[in-house]
Amino acid sequence: MKTVSLILCAVLLLYSAPYVAMQDEVPFPVYVDSDICARLMLGPITTARVDCSVQTHKDGSNPVLVRLDDNTVFDPNKPKLVKDHVGGFGEATGEVKVKSGTMKLKNFKPLDRKDIPEGPSTKLLDVRTYKATGNAQLHEKIRHELAMIAYITTFDFISFTLVGNDVILTGWTVRDTNRSDAEYRVKKIEGVNKVTNNIEILPLGGTDMEIRAAARLALQRNLSTYFWSNGSDIKIIVKNGIVILLGSVRTQQDFDIATIQTNSVSFVFHVFNLLRVTGPEQKEKKG
Amino acid sequence: MKRSHHPWKLLTGWLCVILAIAVMTGCSPAAEPKPGVKQIAAGQEFSGFLKDYASLKPNPNLDGEALTYAATDAKQNLRNYFAIIVDPVEVYVATDADVSQVSDEGRIALTNYFQHALIGAVSDAFPVVDTPSPLTLRLRTALVGVDVGGEVAAGDVPADAKPFARALNIGKVGVEMELVDSKTGERIAAMVDKANVGAGAEVGAAQFSRVQKFAAAREAFDEWASRVRMFLDSEHEIKGPEAARTEQSYQPYE
Repeated sequence: MKTVSLILCAVLLLYSAPYVAMQDEVPFPVYVDSDICARLMLGPITTARVDCSVQTHKDGSNPVLVRLDDNTVFDPNKPKLVKDHVGGFGEATGEVKVKSGTMKLKNFKPLDRKDIPEGPSTKLLDVRTYKATGNAQLHEKIRHELAMIAYITTFDFISFTLVGNDVILTGWTVRDTNRSDAEYRVKKIEGVNKVTNNIEILPLGGTDMEIRAAARLALQRNLSTYFWSNGSDIKIIVKNGIVILLGSVRTQQDFDIATIQTNSVSFVFHVFNLLRVTGPEQKEKKG
Repeated sequence: MKRSHHPWKLLTGWLCVILAIAVMTGCSPAAEPKPGVKQIAAGQEFSGFLKDYASLKPNPNLDGEALTYAATDAKQNLRNYFAIIVDPVEVYVATDADVSQVSDEGRIALTNYFQHALIGAVSDAFPVVDTPSPLTLRLRTALVGVDVGGEVAAGDVPADAKPFARALNIGKVGVEMELVDSKTGERIAAMVDKANVGAGAEVGAAQFSRVQKFAAAREAFDEWASRVRMFLDSEHEIKGPEAARTEQSYQPYE
């Protein structure tokens, strides 16, 4: 009896293994984005998004794949296969690891927008069907939970968007615990349906550590008003020599100082200054 | 006739005396400290592992007797660091313990397990790295007050595990630790934890983690490690006026 069970188990395993592998490797439609735009422009694939993807990729931001079905971002192991298609669509085949946001890319086939089959994949392509429709109260609850994550530092930035009751988490962190904590906190909020976690864990390379420390020192020295003992209005994201400044400053002058100071840091390959200018000067311009 | 002393004869004589003293000192077992073993000096409240104890204050966030210190300087505080080097743990033997009965293998078993427990407790919040770099802390830790326990019977450990001649008693052990900047050595936080979590616990084999008899020791080490993490968590908690500023500052990009 035991032998029969063992044989049955072995046969089942033999038959199911290739099936499981195949499940992982079913081709799916993707948008080829830059790392920065994929994590900060969470909305539909508009002309502005495409421009952002192309420009930031040209400036050094890595290509990533955005799965159109659910907006999950994957860092492909072979960026060369997709780098010439940034700002375009395609069909990707390979093994995906949702938890780490990585993909072993086996094949990539460029696609025209019109060739993407109608269904969940086209949701991201239409501004009318894909927009932040979540209610303001729920949005505020999520914002509060994410703001209060204890281990967030100047070197982390977690963002989100609310589509109906679904939440897409995004951004960069230097700690595993922030990625899982953010998801846990948002999932337990009443009214939240599905959470897609696109938060990337940043590598702790020696040069990146030097850049982080030097950039913070330079900004803290020149823009001290935006730093306090346990936090800062300016966030410094460093990934393989690329620096992304996020958060807010009050004046255009402070914005410019941030750019100059960060560019003066040794080993910095490129600075993306995405700080928001929130002071009266900016409000007048908008008015 | 006055006997003359040739200078080289004098030199040889002195050299012989020095050599004899050196040999005698070297052979005396009482004078040789056992390598790697430190003992708490008589009448001392603390081991001396930390350079400074004056800044430590009782911590209301931790039950038991815990004294802590955390730098509050805007440029040098715990929140400015996010990676950690976990140094090998040091052992301080109780003042009245017979140091000669503390085996090296026993001491190594304690320190290895505790270092492992510390890494497990902090690594998701502070990625563990090997080399000093900016924004990286160094965690220095000592187990203080290790005593000599009873003899370990062969039946107390599994057949494939070699028992120590004498167990190590951790019933009165406390933990002293400090977090320093891995580049400059500047102290960022410290803790002296005298919580009595190891009461009645002994360690009698190198692989004590898989021996049921020593489960209390295992739990004690895990508990001390978790209290280090609790201290770190409490120092990272966003509270007071800074909570309002943190919340106001955070705006997602959409």
